[in-house]
Amino acid sequence: MKHYLDLIKFSAKQHKKQNRMTKLCIVLAVFLVSVIFGMADMEMRSQMIQAVKTDGSWHAAFVVNEEQGAILLARPEVESAARYGALNYRLKDGYQIEGTETGVGGFDKEFQEMIPDAEVIAGTFPDKPDEAVMNENIKARLGVQIGDTIHMTTPWGNEKEYHITGLVKNTALTAELDAFCIFLNTDGFSELYEEQAAGEAEELYFVKFRRFCNIQKTIDEITVQLGLKEGQVRQNVKVLALMIQSRDSYMMQFYFVAAALAMLVVIAGILMITASMNSSIARRTEFFGMLRCLGAVKGQVIRYVQREALEWCRIAIPAGVAAGVVVVWGVCGLLRFLSPGLFEGLPVFGVSFMGIGAGIIVGFLTVFLAAGSPAKQAARVSPLTAVSGNAGTVHAVKRTADTRFFKVDTALGIHHAAGSKKNFLLVSGSFAFSIILFLAFSTAIDFMHHAINPLRPSAPDIRVNLEDGSNQIPAQLAKELEKAPGVKRVFGRGYAGLTMPDGRQITAVSYGKYQFQWAEESMLEGSLKDASEGKGVLFVSQEEDTPDVGSHIKVLAGGKERDISVAGIIGGVPDMTDTAADMMFCQEDLFRELTGEKGYAVLDIQLQRNARDVQVQEIRQIIERACGDGIIFSDKRIKNQEARGASYSMAVFMYGFLAVIALIGFFNIINCIAMSVSARIKEYGAMRAIGMSTGQLERMVVGETLTYAFSGAGFGCALGLPLNWLMFDSLVTSRWKEAWSIPGWELAAAAAVMAVSVLLAVSGPARQLKDMIVVDIIR
Amino acid sequence: MEILRVENLSKTYGTGEARVEALRQVSFSMERGEFGAVVGVSGSGKSTLLHCIGGLDKADAGKVFISGRDLFEMGEDERTIFRRQNIGFIFQSFHLIPELNVEQNITFPLLLDYKKPDEKKVEEMLKVLGLTERRKHLPGQLSGGQQQRVAIGRALITRPALVLADEPTGNLDSGSSQDVMELLCKASRYYQQTVLMITHNMNLTSYADRVFRVADGRLCELGGDAQ
Repeated sequence: MKHYLDLIKFSAKQHKKQNRMTKLCIVLAVFLVSVIFGMADMEMRSQMIQAVKTDGSWHAAFVVNEEQGAILLARPEVESAARYGALNYRLKDGYQIEGTETGVGGFDKEFQEMIPDAEVIAGTFPDKPDEAVMNENIKARLGVQIGDTIHMTTPWGNEKEYHITGLVKNTALTAELDAFCIFLNTDGFSELYEEQAAGEAEELYFVKFRRFCNIQKTIDEITVQLGLKEGQVRQNVKVLALMIQSRDSYMMQFYFVAAALAMLVVIAGILMITASMNSSIARRTEFFGMLRCLGAVKGQVIRYVQREALEWCRIAIPAGVAAGVVVVWGVCGLLRFLSPGLFEGLPVFGVSFMGIGAGIIVGFLTVFLAAGSPAKQAARVSPLTAVSGNAGTVHAVKRTADTRFFKVDTALGIHHAAGSKKNFLLVSGSFAFSIILFLAFSTAIDFMHHAINPLRPSAPDIRVNLEDGSNQIPAQLAKELEKAPGVKRVFGRGYAGLTMPDGRQITAVSYGKYQFQWAEESMLEGSLKDASEGKGVLFVSQEEDTPDVGSHIKVLAGGKERDISVAGIIGGVPDMTDTAADMMFCQEDLFRELTGEKGYAVLDIQLQRNARDVQVQEIRQIIERACGDGIIFSDKRIKNQEARGASYSMAVFMYGFLAVIALIGFFNIINCIAMSVSARIKEYGAMRAIGMSTGQLERMVVGETLTYAFSGAGFGCALGLPLNWLMFDSLVTSRWKEAWSIPGWELAAAAAVMAVSVLLAVSGPARQLKDMIVVDIIR
Repeated sequence: MEILRVENLSKTYGTGEARVEALRQVSFSMERGEFGAVVGVSGSGKSTLLHCIGGLDKADAGKVFISGRDLFEMGEDERTIFRRQNIGFIFQSFHLIPELNVEQNITFPLLLDYKKPDEKKVEEMLKVLGLTERRKHLPGQLSGGQQQRVAIGRALITRPALVLADEPTGNLDSGSSQDVMELLCKASRYYQQTVLMITHNMNLTSYADRVFRVADGRLCELGGDAQ
């Protein structure tokens, strides 16, 4: 031993167990902070990947003429710009290839870098005005190859000839609408456009600005410089928001909420470490008094405490950060597994510098700052304290325990919690903090439920209906398709209008076994079994005029009046919210009996996870063979994948955040009680010596824990509910007009986490007290 | 009437070269109302003996009978309850409950049995201890002597057959030490309780009926036939 600070190493060997608790606390706090910030970072990255895929990576678009365009391009902030124009995007204007409405887009080559959907996946971008790239629908349905020529008629009866130089992927929209689409270069597009709008020369410029440029300020300057009006400037709000470059008022609110939540998480981490260090120092008051007694000056004691804290950091911070990084990897891996197509750009072993940085800063600074106060406290210990043996291990007692209302063990437990106001406020405050954090963050889940519609189990990958809307899709086709490769399930429904004796119209909708299965979760009353067996029909609940279950309605079917029983009421039907009022849902045989219709109007197909495009084409051919050309074939796979991806990404991160916050509360409660018991272990030893049983000691710890838990829950709800309301108002009410209500499940979840934490918080110390060797403690 | 009987009590700590025989085949007994003092140098095994007799520590071999009941035959919980009802403990460093006032500390063993303390008995005890005026004070507000008196009150309140005192005057000045010794004598003479006290101070043995010496784990009675 060459220096007095070398004592730290020897002390660490002697106090391994106590130090382990403090180190574990630092590891936890650093882990939680780095996980939360790391997940936030990854969520932003995954959202950015999605945003770029669906909306493109451009920042702003300006409707300007050529001269203004030149000025725009000359600005130093502009990294790249591309002109873009579109015709017939509603597919109604009469641009047709072989009789099929065709959307036409025209843009500069650079546009492909900003919009992934415009990227040429085979062949080359058109160089000449008479060249074009086609989408996958044209290739698949017309058998056109790169190098072929296609002819497009315009609404003015002209015929344009284009050489196909390349292929682009279907977008979610073109796949769903089964639409043809060609892309030209800007010159080719201008020629076509002039035919429609001679003389107008304004073009849409998509612009990507340089990194670190203040985008909002630049847009303002461009608007003033070019004298643009409001409708002439568009912004890619989602991408700008993710770059924290949006000035959108809603996004500003969102930033505020995110900043507030980040602060709360940091404070939670700081509180955990500070409480643990305070307790660690308080336990060793006598030791520090002895150091003073042996001649250590106050400054030396402070240095001792700080150096010891930094020693803990050396292992605890890397461990916490490493654990955080592993969890973030797990989350990214989960996302890639759930939605491989959408998140292939998200690295499985991605490192979030934001998460690591936040963990290190919070850990290091907190430990260093938190060490300051206990260090001073330690330095204040008088040498006399050590030699007199009066060094208190807990806060000085000022009030007597009240043994009138509870048994002595419980009363002492309550007093241990509430006896010292400062300690009581600190511990129950930190419990309350967990609840506040939980209630505040849970509004993000509400936001998620409103912002993203998860894919329903009934969502089809392919929907087929006839152009005339008739029930002419053969029922047999569904059975045939179910056997086709790549198909998971097929279900159809027919629609038929029926007249009631009073002249009112009602639409009968046929339901098969799958639809009845899915209806179960929205079943409000009645018997789904009766409806699925054809003994009655289902109605959708309405504010007015919902028929009673068991009542009968009369309809005219086949010239006769039929009496139909109401078997049940359901809450709603996907995709039919507005029209469901005049509908009844009946089993297929009953539907045929009532309406005489044998086929389906709509056929929905769900595909297996690994279904390929070739298989989808085969399915289409089977349908065309059975129904002819007059079908509308809607491929919803891309749209579903995007919806599923958005839903997975947000759900994984939001529930992840909430789980981490629950963990903060969980560990905090366990740690606080473990520390409290550890600080009073001598007192408990004396009580055991006098004759207190282990059961009574357990009751005492339970009393203490429950006092903290109830008061913490009370404080937490009193502050957390108004915060929940405020955040709900900012995130949800301001956008979707939904009124706030008391967050029932959130409170129940917080209570459940607290109950489990209390149980575990008590069981650890209870075991410790049971195993304690009384003689060693009272010596 | 025999209250305490110790038979061939042995206790060893550590193994190999660190092995220490704290108690070697210790046997003795005490009658009701007797006051015994155990003396010996530091590390001789006095405290180990007291802890084993009180059921706080387990012996490797031998038996301890209190009022005819074998302490080591009892389960942990049963022994704990037996201890609080039949044995009074007095420690050198008092070990009072800091959150309980004088009256609550004295009645603590009764409260652990969930019994309502008899107010008359509590009053009498406070009077005997000279703490009536201080009954609502917390331990932190008392002097060392007063704290030890509270500890004695706590040890006597259940009227235990046996009172074990581990250096009860070790932390006290001479005035307070005399008060404590008089109280222990009173417990023995007036309440007919058996008292076994450990002390370093040979002067205090003058209060005792019997004096034992422990050396190297062996016990002998000074001027008697215990071994």
